[in-house]
Amino acid sequence: MSSQASHESKSKSDLKISDQALVCHESKLRGDITIGPNTIVHPRATIIAEAGPIIIGASNIIEEQAYIINRLRPGADPSIVQVMEIGSNNVFEVDCVFESSMMGNQNVLEVKSHVGPGVEISDGCIIGAGCKLNGNERLPEKSVIYGSDCARRIAMDKPPHPSLQIDYLTKILVKYHHLKKPRSAN
Amino acid sequence: MALMFQSDVVQYVCTCGQLKPISLMYFCRHCLKLRCGYCVCHEVDSHYCSNCLEILPSAEARLKKHRCQTCFDCPNCLNTLAVRATTVSVRDPDDPNKVNSLKKYYHSCFFCRWTTRDVGLPDQAVQTVSANGWSQKGESNIQRINVLLEYVRLLGMQERHEREQREKKFTPRSRRTFTHHPGLTAAHVRKRAGLPPELPAPSTIRDNLAEFQPAVAKEEVASLPESIFTEELDIDQVTTLTQRLAQPETQPESIVDLIPSCKHLCTKRSQRCRGCEHNVSKPDLNPSSIKFKIQHAASFHVPEVRLVSVQPLIGSKECEIVIVFSNPSQQPTTISFITLEEAEAEAQEHTEVTPDTSVPQGEAPPSLSSLTRSPPVMEEPRPVSIAVTGDVNLPTADVEIVLAPKDDAAEYDDSSDTQQFHDDPQIVVHRRANKASLRLTVIPHADKAGQNCTIGFGFRYTYINRISTPASASFEPQKVQLSSRTFLNCGKIKESQ
Amino acid sequence: MELQDIHYNKAEYVETASGNKVSRQTVLCGSQNIVLHGKVIVQSDAIIRGDLANVRTGRYCIISKRAVLRPPFKKFSKGVAFFPLFMGDHVFVGENSVVSAAMVGSYVYIGNNVVIGRRCVLKDCCYIEDNSVLPPETVVPSFARYAGSPGVCVGEMPECTQELMVDLTRNYYEHFVPAPQ
Repeated sequence: MSSQASHESKSKSDLKISDQALVCHESKLRGDITIGPNTIVHPRATIIAEAGPIIIGASNIIEEQAYIINRLRPGADPSIVQVMEIGSNNVFEVDCVFESSMMGNQNVLEVKSHVGPGVEISDGCIIGAGCKLNGNERLPEKSVIYGSDCARRIAMDKPPHPSLQIDYLTKILVKYHHLKKPRSAN
Repeated sequence: MALMFQSDVVQYVCTCGQLKPISLMYFCRHCLKLRCGYCVCHEVDSHYCSNCLEILPSAEARLKKHRCQTCFDCPNCLNTLAVRATTVSVRDPDDPNKVNSLKKYYHSCFFCRWTTRDVGLPDQAVQTVSANGWSQKGESNIQRINVLLEYVRLLGMQERHEREQREKKFTPRSRRTFTHHPGLTAAHVRKRAGLPPELPAPSTIRDNLAEFQPAVAKEEVASLPESIFTEELDIDQVTTLTQRLAQPETQPESIVDLIPSCKHLCTKRSQRCRGCEHNVSKPDLNPSSIKFKIQHAASFHVPEVRLVSVQPLIGSKECEIVIVFSNPSQQPTTISFITLEEAEAEAQEHTEVTPDTSVPQGEAPPSLSSLTRSPPVMEEPRPVSIAVTGDVNLPTADVEIVLAPKDDAAEYDDSSDTQQFHDDPQIVVHRRANKASLRLTVIPHADKAGQNCTIGFGFRYTYINRISTPASASFEPQKVQLSSRTFLNCGKIKESQ
Repeated sequence: MELQDIHYNKAEYVETASGNKVSRQTVLCGSQNIVLHGKVIVQSDAIIRGDLANVRTGRYCIISKRAVLRPPFKKFSKGVAFFPLFMGDHVFVGENSVVSAAMVGSYVYIGNNVVIGRRCVLKDCCYIEDNSVLPPETVVPSFARYAGSPGVCVGEMPECTQELMVDLTRNYYEHFVPAPQ
């Protein structure tokens, strides 16, 4: 997760967007960010790599007002670069906040959900609308967090794959939005 | 708006003594009185499901235990379940090499992702499944409950029999009342009065009652299963209290026993004035309609008071407040202030003497003749239980403020109002359409610093009564003088320096 | 309490011929697919996603700060379709609320910080309390008051809700005035 590396100065040139990714121009990306193929970043989404690089895998959807931040932890050694890794096929819905350093594949962060820095998300999890997770833990696979008390259960199946939505969005978003040009193809 | 923001700022006194914001009150055009939810008769007009919005006749709704047969609640989080379709490939029974794809449906919760597959309920072949296949588990108690229901029904019959015997001696049949029977509303009375069902002979009722077996307490209680001592408890497998109470028939302990429960029905209700039994509100039957057949909300008849601005409230200092009166009616109305005591005296006068403008007692319209059998079940008005923590200097009762009628078209007319009212500029600050802003001075009580400053006043207003009484066949609107009491919460009182 | 004047920065807002007041700080994606039927207020940082599907509001709607109107999608076996979002007249949407409903009726009040899930149907004269979460495909009947997560019916609205909402939205529009220079 965290790797020893020299603390480089962050600039916009650290942005690496894959050829097939679709990043709307009105999104806000700061720092060393890598965005994998078929990932869609909606306008007004915010991704900030403050404490270290953010690596986002393939086929993710990051909706408007989603807030992904690799935050400098208070008291942490600034010489240790902390990497945030986000796997593939994840959906970050409107107004969600993701501060953790690790997310697996095929997870859904529903509207207004909040994942604190100490929560590692494995695969196939759903953080329900408005649920806030703070503390230190690793969510088991297919966890579902829901309701006002953040109740938990393990679902039978993983949430549906977002690929159909991505297909549609890639067709429609290019008609209406200016896109950020890929800087380096993988 | 009174309701949307701070519903407790301005409260009116209902005829029954309750304090309510005007948006929650009704106005009976026959008694010319304010009514609130506590002093009207609620009648269920129709049952409908809040999810599929289908209307069920009340007899059918009762038969189905007031639950929708096609919509289900998630037993896990109590959200409404959605139907999902999947295609299942089934091997053709005739030709083992051929695979048929079949559409199957199951229920799934979009909130907690619970599905009927979680508890092993089989997928359904049709989209609208009926609940019968699932809820067989609570059957064991149903028989006993039915027996008890029958018992209570017979008891009720016996009671009625006895009363009828008694009353036959004193009152003529037409004057009989059922109102002191618990749970009988005017609607039932009317139904009864039209068609009194024949009762079985008292002897048969007595015989039937004697047949019932009372419940017997068991000596022995089933012991706890062995596994409870040996196996570790997995708290995730145990149902919560909410989940259990949502299924009172089975009250499952383990989450594998949860089954979807049918959705409860909602009702549309009409409100009837308890004094004169006229409807004050009757909604359209259709659940998606927001129209009303009859709607006499107080805010359509009684001038509304709103607080506009308050100067800082300092104990025993004069502070200025601005209130706005708005006239909801199509006619101009005249307002004058009276003290709370005067208004209370007037309200009592009204309850004692029936105003001649309303329906004279005993002379109800012929169509309502059956209603007169039940005497008005009005209670004594309760005393108002709010402490006044500030005095208000009111204009004298002879100061009359005329409010212009409400004109819906004026909303689209930007021309400024012609000032044709001769107002005292000391009192009337501003006028716009059917509204007038008035300035009053308030002296908060010095010893109530830190508390909310509550002031109260009464006001008289003119009201045009458009109800034609049967006594006077000619239709002629009558102008009457009504009064109302309001309490205003002006905010916290500051310490006097 | 009568509504006090709400002042806005005159330079920030655009007023259209039909009386819509729209902040320049909003994100109106696919504006050709957005129809605001007059006297609608869209406040700062609100987002309306007309690019996904049509969004239509009636008269006298108030979209508060940071609210998001987002047409809902539905998955089918062969792909995804976004549905238009229709909103009636005299609707109030509170701050930070995310509305992904298929239909919002008229005279509807949506509080602050509310999540209206995909393809919800809000009938006329309903009220969603602050911080509620309505799961996808919830139907809120007329005159119902919903609250909680998941949103459940907690009460009823008075019979005169229509008039209250008309009054609220009209008053809001009238009191939403440019700050005095």
